[in-house]
Amino acid sequence: MTKPDQPRSTYITTAFWWLLLLTFSAWAQPTPNTPPPDFSPRVFEIARELRCPVCQGESAAESNAGIAVEMRRIIAEQLAQGRTEAEIRQFFVDRYGDWILYQPPVRGLTLWVWLSPLVGLALLGIGLWRYLARVRAQAQATASDVSEEEIARLESELSQTPER
Amino acid sequence: MLRFWPIWVLLLGGLFYWGLQRPNPDELKSVLVGRPAPTFSLPLLAPYRPTFGLEMGIGERLEKPVLLNIWASWCIPCRTEAPLLERFYRQHKDQILILGVNVQDREADALKFVQQYGLTFPSVFDGRGRIGIEYGYYGVPETFVISREGTVLARHAGELSEVQLRAYLEQVLR
Repeated sequence: MTKPDQPRSTYITTAFWWLLLLTFSAWAQPTPNTPPPDFSPRVFEIARELRCPVCQGESAAESNAGIAVEMRRIIAEQLAQGRTEAEIRQFFVDRYGDWILYQPPVRGLTLWVWLSPLVGLALLGIGLWRYLARVRAQAQATASDVSEEEIARLESELSQTPER
Repeated sequence: MLRFWPIWVLLLGGLFYWGLQRPNPDELKSVLVGRPAPTFSLPLLAPYRPTFGLEMGIGERLEKPVLLNIWASWCIPCRTEAPLLERFYRQHKDQILILGVNVQDREADALKFVQQYGLTFPSVFDGRGRIGIEYGYYGVPETFVISREGTVLARHAGELSEVQLRAYLEQVLR
């Protein structure tokens, strides 16, 4: 609770100090995804597409594990040698397989993973279409199968039914 | 669709059976298996230099099959594996060479480790783990079985047991 006789300037000063404290706290946080000064941002762009082999769900750009640091160093060295990004990615694929890539190429089992929702949807569509076609055919058949005689009997029964 | 239920049952059953037969997803297959082992030569840790020379590594052809064991002094499974490897090396050093590669480590810590376990099989020092990456390693300990012709026959991720070591020896001598 605030004291009613407290001067207004005290509130403003307190608010100012809180604001200053929060600003400095915000500055103290590391800026995310900013590469350390030792490697160029391009190194981190390539490393971001590669898994860190010893980490859980971290790329070679995010992790500070020794192996990830060494991977970044290899990328920097190969960039300095004039290798392209594709060549550098291939260097790691040759040693680790497609597993090392965060976006493995769409082939083999990966292709089936991509295609399976489409195949599922197609099967569902065919099933639904066939079911609806059968229901429609049954409805039409039921209407046309009733004989004139039966319709007349039903109408006479309806007309004889006493109204409540 | 439901008329064909035996086909659906067979299909689902087949898929289930295939899932059960798949290799263990935790098993890490190396792309190097069946391919030539990456060649390298690295400085040996000081205690091995009088016996083995200044440097050692994997060449295109080898005098005998090699168990390339990647280790680090800070790795706990490496500590339980070290006495087993030493015993195995002493028993079979005429048939197979165990070559240690110390990675992601400080040389002083590696030397302490070697002394602590009295390891007589040679180990080279690769502080930054560059050779580990050349072999596509995931962590330590990890062992690569290399034939005399310099081909990678198998990769073992994690700690080895005596039974597994014997199986690899049989595989490499076959």
